[in-house]
Amino acid sequence: MMVENLMLQVPTTEIADDQPLFGPGSLGLDSVDALQLVVALEKHFGLKIPDPAAAREILQNVGTIVSAVQKKLAGAA
Amino acid sequence: MNSRVILITGANGGLGQAIARAFLAESPQNIVWLGVRSRREQAESASRESPDRCRLLDLEVTSAAAWHLGVQAIVGDCQRLDVLVNNAGQHQDGLLAQLSWNSWREVLSANLDSTFLGCQAVLPTMISQRAGRIVNVASLSALLAPAGQTNYSAAKAGVVALTRSLAKEVARIGITVNAVCPGYVQTGALADLNEEARAAALSRIPMRRFGQPEEIAAAVRFLACPEASYITGSVLKVDGGIL
Repeated sequence: MMVENLMLQVPTTEIADDQPLFGPGSLGLDSVDALQLVVALEKHFGLKIPDPAAAREILQNVGTIVSAVQKKLAGAA
Repeated sequence: MNSRVILITGANGGLGQAIARAFLAESPQNIVWLGVRSRREQAESASRESPDRCRLLDLEVTSAAAWHLGVQAIVGDCQRLDVLVNNAGQHQDGLLAQLSWNSWREVLSANLDSTFLGCQAVLPTMISQRAGRIVNVASLSALLAPAGQTNYSAAKAGVVALTRSLAKEVARIGITVNAVCPGYVQTGALADLNEEARAAALSRIPMRRFGQPEEIAAAVRFLACPEASYITGSVLKVDGGIL
């Protein structure tokens, strides 16, 4: 979802679960990428990220995003 | 052309109606939503003439909640929203020294806050589509800043700046954001001018005539058309050569 929505030039297999998405040593995403991720997560999983503080927490890396989605889906089940 | 779903605010006035007609004429498959609040006679008439393609939307443009519900209704019905035209606005002219705080706030709210709220409301849908067109109707007053319009000029100048800034934010997502600055246009607002003021206005226009709503609508439609895909952050004056 991330590679497709953000049109990343990196294959999914090369993105480690714990690789930071933003900042030093990261995948190099920016705030516009974050915006697209927030919209895509709500569209695909119903996961609403209400504010920038929550976004910073959830969008740290693929692992934290997966945890948030799993928690959302478990809550909905 | 593929069908498009268009939302126009301030759709009851002469300019809003002309913009609606322009998009309806663009394609027989287009669906135009007319955002209206208290005054709605013209919009209701247009909707009765083309009930399948022209729909009314109750929309208080200064309310975030109303915008959210309105966009939800459109996307629920049409599954997409391709174009937003922020055309709603008002002015309450007067010299700044005598302007009330309410006059300042109401004009800023109706013109600038409404544009901010509208853009924010449609962006999630357009980002999801990776496509969209936003056209903000500003005014030549944003650039000329005539006396007696400190509130209106400030609001419309804000619309221009918002347009240019937002355009940069969403450019790579396939959404363009542009502004149109109409000069003197033959609408109800111009009818309020007395003969002397009309003559003075005409003398400032190199074309020596007022613009027609259809001429402004054509500019709006151009900025929203698929062929304008490389135009964003632009401010298009439609003023008969004044500036």
